[in-house]
Formats: sequence, structure tokens, C-alpha cells
Amino acid sequence: MKKQLTLYVDTNRCMNCRACETACKLENSLPAGPRYTMVTETEMMDGEIPKCMFLPMPCLHCGDAFCVKACPTGAVRKRADGVVLVTKSRCIGCHECLWACPFGVPQFGEDGKMSKCTLCANAIDEGGKPACVKACPAEAIMFGSTEEISEIMRKRYAAASFHKRETVAAR
Amino acid sequence: MSQNPPFRKREDLDKYAVAKNAPVWLGGKKVIADRVVKTACPHNCYDTCGQLVYVKDERVIKIEGDPEHPITRGHLCLKGFANVEKINSPDRIKYPMLRIGERGEGKFKRISWDEAFDYMVGNMNRIRNKYGGEALMEYGYSGNREHMAKAVAGRLLNLIGATKLTGSFCLLSGASGSYHSVGSQHTTPPEIWSEHCELVLLVGRNPSATNPHIYPFLYRAKERGAKLIVVDPYVTGVASKADLHLRPRPGTDGALALGMISWIIANDLHDKEYIARHTTGFEELKELARQWTPDYTEQITTVPGEQIIEAAELYATHVSHMECGYGHQRYSNGHQAQRALACLAAVCGHIGKRGASYNCVDSMCFPAIDGFMKTAKVAVPEGAVIKPTRMVNIAAFATAVHKAKKPPIKGVISYRGGLISQQPWVDYTIEAVKKLEMFAVIEQFMTDDTDWADLVLPACHYLEQYGFHPSYWHHYFQTTVPVCQPYYEAVPDLEIFEELGRRMGYEEYFPRDRTGLDYIKMLVGEDADVDMATSPNGPIRFSEDWCPKVPNENGKFDTPSGKFEFYSSTMAERGKKFKGDFNPLPNFVEPDESVFGTPKLAKKYPLSVISQHPAFRTHSQYCNLPWIKEIEGPTHIFMNREDAESRNILDGDKVRIYNDRGELNDIVVKVSIRVKRGVIEFSSGMWVKYGGSVNKLTGLSLGGPRDVLAEDGIMYEYHPLLDGNTTAYFNTLVQVEKM
Repeated sequence: MKKQLTLYVDTNRCMNCRACETACKLENSLPAGPRYTMVTETEMMDGEIPKCMFLPMPCLHCGDAFCVKACPTGAVRKRADGVVLVTKSRCIGCHECLWACPFGVPQFGEDGKMSKCTLCANAIDEGGKPACVKACPAEAIMFGSTEEISEIMRKRYAAASFHKRETVAAR
Repeated sequence: MSQNPPFRKREDLDKYAVAKNAPVWLGGKKVIADRVVKTACPHNCYDTCGQLVYVKDERVIKIEGDPEHPITRGHLCLKGFANVEKINSPDRIKYPMLRIGERGEGKFKRISWDEAFDYMVGNMNRIRNKYGGEALMEYGYSGNREHMAKAVAGRLLNLIGATKLTGSFCLLSGASGSYHSVGSQHTTPPEIWSEHCELVLLVGRNPSATNPHIYPFLYRAKERGAKLIVVDPYVTGVASKADLHLRPRPGTDGALALGMISWIIANDLHDKEYIARHTTGFEELKELARQWTPDYTEQITTVPGEQIIEAAELYATHVSHMECGYGHQRYSNGHQAQRALACLAAVCGHIGKRGASYNCVDSMCFPAIDGFMKTAKVAVPEGAVIKPTRMVNIAAFATAVHKAKKPPIKGVISYRGGLISQQPWVDYTIEAVKKLEMFAVIEQFMTDDTDWADLVLPACHYLEQYGFHPSYWHHYFQTTVPVCQPYYEAVPDLEIFEELGRRMGYEEYFPRDRTGLDYIKMLVGEDADVDMATSPNGPIRFSEDWCPKVPNENGKFDTPSGKFEFYSSTMAERGKKFKGDFNPLPNFVEPDESVFGTPKLAKKYPLSVISQHPAFRTHSQYCNLPWIKEIEGPTHIFMNREDAESRNILDGDKVRIYNDRGELNDIVVKVSIRVKRGVIEFSSGMWVKYGGSVNKLTGLSLGGPRDVLAEDGIMYEYHPLLDGNTTAYFNTLVQVEKM
């Protein structure tokens, strides 16, 4: 199988600046209305400590994408590299994909047809990066194959645990 | 399309292109941009981001971060990208307009630039002849925080003998408090401290809204094992990443710092060698700090004593870097709060080291004050006789307009600032504006100000004009160049003042062959090669003559004693001359309005308002853009669950917020754990006509040290760093009730 491309958000890094949202609007020439990515704010208690968590929600380009299976016309399809795309001319605006998507990703603009994050397919096909990845000041949104991202995350996790051990030892 | 007014010369902008005929993806299509230009964002922000702007048919079609900028590294904030929506907005003011209705009605007719200048020249000459030159003044702040056009406007205002606008409603209280102990101040840049510190103490700063590019450096420090302590009454994005978050009662940050100092000294954690060699007045500070035990500090700040102790011990025993924002100094005691923080750093010896420095603000924030920028060269034209004139402090603008006599203030030209939405106490400010005989507003959109204007002139977006805005956080600068011709009939601020000058009879001082870049070169002088900082070239590092890489590294301070002054001799001196809180020690005094300080008032108005920098706007800018409105939603406040329940308010309910100064209706409540009981968060900057301006409620009270309100905001002598002043926006107390 070809390497599967995806976006990964390190939620420990996202800090709610929303740069990804306007970068995405600009890249896709979108008016207010359809939102291909949106940062969700949640509040939680970490023990007795109040904290906010932020989660950008672009299309996750799922491995086994529910939207692809739900689409009755074949308008939603998955490329060999994992990118999930919509062929607008085939979309009949039935919203089945929206019902199927666990994350509420499909958007419907004024034309009534589904549109969503394309992983900036045009740009990545030329070796570029998605707009939100380039925009993110916190460097929280990553793009790559699942293997590459997993490697970065493992390194970050190991480094963090190493420092935790070191600090405990120093005490 | 651009309709160049006849007095404008059209400059060829291709010389600034880093690329021509450049392909770029836009809305799934490949578009060929005519040129790509490198520039920087001058929107009064720490980051001063490097941008690459794509232009086609003299229209901006796309903006990207400049990946070669050493600090911002190709990333922008949401506003950076939204500039494409802003500059292309159909709502932009397209041509000059003259009022035809009553003031405040917002009715105008289109006029030509010639008619607009005739109107201004006629009125300014009439006012000058009737009352004197000092009846005229400018109003302007940081809407575009570049310094060049302001200096050229200063040239004209000097020639006509106008009243000068000075001071700040933003950060001068803190900068002044700090200056009285540290002297000239600079920042250690993030690429240095993030590689050397073991702890970051971040106070009064919400970088998600004001400084997003700090995060990669904070995360780098954290990955190296550094701890993060955040001091903020509000649960911000950065506070949510902290190892320890201290949440003082609004206005008590200075007390918290004294509590930490007290514990550090009492437990022998202070840096005795540093104190002995590089500081003065330690015994006096020690005496002041004695009463600030953890118990007492907890009583005042509401921060649990054990957290104060933990923070103090962590800060004192690690290589600790302090990064200060401006939140804690927007109270009447703000100058002393900042000074207490400086003292905390000095007590621990955490100044002037790569990993342990004290960052308040870099002097590059005030290039005119510290002399990096040769303002006088531009503002005081050679050969002209310039009489000294009185000054008005911007933090007391409305007061000065109300109170000034001999002469009264009668004509104001406003640009680069939302006067009515940003000045405290909106109603009082509008009453002041009503007293003017001429109120001319240079704006991009029909704001609160244009509604009250006699004359409205179409302003350029920053991408259509030159500018000089060195960062006050990192150490790079690049010029802001026009990436495209001005839209519609808009004219750069610089050229409006130049042409006005010519038409008022000062042709010789406003030669036609000068561009913004020439003025920037006059300002910068020999210290830096401006061409190297101008597109297609990139940002350059500040000359070391301007600011050292690590300030105070040699343990020397630019104070009278040459040392860090816990007991400030300049405070004591200045206090002999002017009224105000010039206590040479950073003593804590309750804010002018607070639950503890004014208990009678707090019975009526028990809730403290803190206004974070709007998360998705630059104060009043961007709030009319569809992309931003969509993200921000309706005007809202965050309120603690207990406060909401006791008022029978549910999440999403609409409320009335009021105090003696004004009221706001239909504000949506978000019931939240982000604020403690007794505090609401209400972002600043929303337009008054949109119904959500917190400044309807804000008082006139000022951060110190000098009490310029006692002088009606009118000054004949003023030094920004000795006298300070910030609008004490966060002193505000209100009541909230369900509608």
C-alpha cells in the first residue's frame, strides 16, 4: 500500500490562535460559512486546576473513511495516498456524508454541495505543505505519512519522559 | 481600481519584488501573481511577522509567512491572513467624504481630494487664527504602529505649533516603573533564553492573542525540561500549558511579587553576591517585603500561600527567565507592579544572563525616546523656527479636550487609532469630540470615529504604504513597503500630511521627490543599512549599538547609581516635581476601583472586569470582517458558575452590564471556569455601534507614576519613561444582571 498521508494535531501544542482557520479560508477562497477546519475549545479540571484544551478539527482523512462508504454517488473518494476528496459535479447534496462523519467535517456552502478539507492536495502533489501546517505558529499541526508522524511523536514523548526523570532525579 | 489623486506620484513597485510572475495556488486554481513582495506586519504586536505578499493587477491576492524570517519562521496569526479579506473588503472607504447630517448620524457626501484639502486648510487656518496653533492637535496611536509617517506628521504639527500628543494608554506605566529600577531596558531575544533557561515565569501576557510566535520557543524550553509558571487571573491558552498557574485577584500582581520576594529573602534564597555587587537599596526593600508573608499575601491576592511559596522557591532556585506582558500594569498601581517584578528578578540575580533575564519591553518600542530613531531630524525641519508647545497625554485625551483653556482644543486630525472605541469612558469621550470645531478622520472603514467626523479621508492599508516598526520583543527589523498601489482613492498617511503641509504654505519642508523610504533612512541614520532591510532583502538584526544581545550582561545599569535600584533615586527626584505615586519602593496600593480598595462601590458593583486583548482581533481592527466574526461569535463575557447561579444566569443567556459610567445590553454570557468568582472577562476593542465596547464602562483612572489627571492631561514637561501613564482599563467594577 502507498504511504498514507494525514494531518496530525499535537493538542498539547495548540493554543487557540486560529491562524489555521483564516489560512484555510484564504487558501480555499472561502467566504464565511463553510469551515474546513475549526478549533474547538473545551474546559476541564486537571485535578483542582482549571485548564482549557484546544482541538483543531480539519478532515482526518480517515483510513477507513465513513463518508466514502456513505456517499451514494461516489462523489467522495479516497486516493491511493489516503487523501479523501469530493468530486463536486457528482455530489447531489444529500448530506449522507455528514451523517456518517463522526467529526462533523463535511461542509455545505451556498451551492448546497459538500466541500471539505482537501489536505491542500494541489500543493502537496507539488511537494508543498497544507496551508494550516505552514500557518501554525505553535507548530502543532503536522503533515506527513502516518509513519513519519508516529516517529516524531515517539521522539517528543521520549524526550519529555527523559526530562521528567531527570528533574525528579535532581530533586 | 486605483484612482490616483492628481497630487500623488505613482511609484514603480516592481523594484520590491522578490519574484515576478509567480505561480500560487488559490481556491484550488493556479494563479500567476504579478509580483511577490516581502514585508512585515506593523500591527503593534511583539512578533512583527515577516510576510510574503502576492499581488495581481495591483490587488493583494494572498499572504504567506516568510519562511526566512528567523523568529516568525513562515507562520502568521489569523489576522495576518485575514489582511487579504481586509484590504479587499467592499466596505472600505473609497474616497474623501464630507458630513452632511448631524454629527453622529453618519451621513456624508463624496468630495474630491482637492475639496477635502480646501476644507482642512480652511478650518485649520481659521482655528489657528482665532485660538492659536495649540488649538489644533493630532490623535493617533498604534493601528499601524510604524513610526515614520508619525514623525512626518510631527513635522507639520511642529510647523503650525500644534499641541503635541504624547504618552501611551498601553504600557508606559509598566515601562516607567521598570525604568526607574533598571534604566534603559532591552529584551533577551527568545532564541537565546529558550536554549538556556530552566524556568520561564510569564506574567500578565496572553501570547495566544498577542504573541503567538513565542510558543515554539516556550515549547523548546519545555522540551529541554524547563518549567513554566504563568501569572494571570484568567485561564489563558498559555496558562493551560503551565506547570503552575497563579491566579491573583485583578490588580494584585505587585503584591504577589512582594510575597515571593519576602519568602525568598526570609528563606535565604536570594543571590547575595549579585545584590551586593549590582544593586542598591536592598535593605529598604527587605524592610518593605517583611510584612508580605505567605498568609498576608494570600489575603490580598487570593492566591493560596503554598502556591506563592512553591512559585518563589522554583523561581529562585532555577535559572529563571521572566517574560512580562502588559496586563498587570493596566491598573492605577501598574507602575509599581512592574517594578516589584523587576525587583523579584534582581533579588534572585536573574537579570543579564542568557537563561535568566528580565524581559519587560525592549527600548525599540520607543525608538523616538531612546534615540535610536533620529525623530528630530524628521520632525524638526532644518531652518525652521519651532516653538515649544504644550502636550496632551493620550491616556487623558478626553479630559484634556474637556478642560483645556488658553486655548481650548478645537481641531483634531485622527488616524491610526479608534478614538471612541479605545479611549476609556465612551460617553465622556463623545462629549469631548462634540466640542471640536473640526474632527477629521483618516480611516479604512466607517467606524465609531467616522460617525462623529466632519471629514472622512480614505486611509491606506499598511500593505499600501511605507513604514518603520522594529520589534519590541525580538531583535529583527525590516521596512514595511507598499506591495501594491493604493486601492480606490486612498492615500498613504505620510502623503496626506505632506500635501496638507504644502497647501498650508510649507512647500519647502515637504519636497515632492521624497518617498517613505527616504524618510526611514533619515530616521535610522548610519546605524543600519535600510536597503538591506527592504524587500527583496530580508529582515536584519538590530545593530548592537541599538540593543545588546543579552542586556545588562555586564551587571551595569543605566541608572544614576549604575546599579539596579530597589530604592529608586529617580522616583524620589521625580516625586518632588510632580504629583503621583512616586514611592521610591515598589509599595503595593489597591487599584482606584477594587473590591478591597473601594468596598462601598463594590457593594453596588461587585464584579471586576478584566479585558484580555481580543483573541481574534487587533483591538478594534478586523472586527467587521466576516471571517473574524464567524470565529468570534456574538459579543460575550466569561463568568464564573457561582456568580452566574447567584444571578440566575444560564450559559448563553443575555445580560445587562452596567456601572455609573454606562451600560451595555444583550451581551451573551459564557459560564466558565476561566475566571474566578468576582471576576468577569470582557474583551476590549469591540465597536460601540456594535453594542459591545467594554469602554462604555471603563473609568478615566490612570496607571502611574505621575498623576496627569490632576493636571487635566495637559503637560508642559513630560518624559515618558520617568512619568509613565497607562489607561487603568482593568480597574473597572460592574454589576451584571439577566435581561
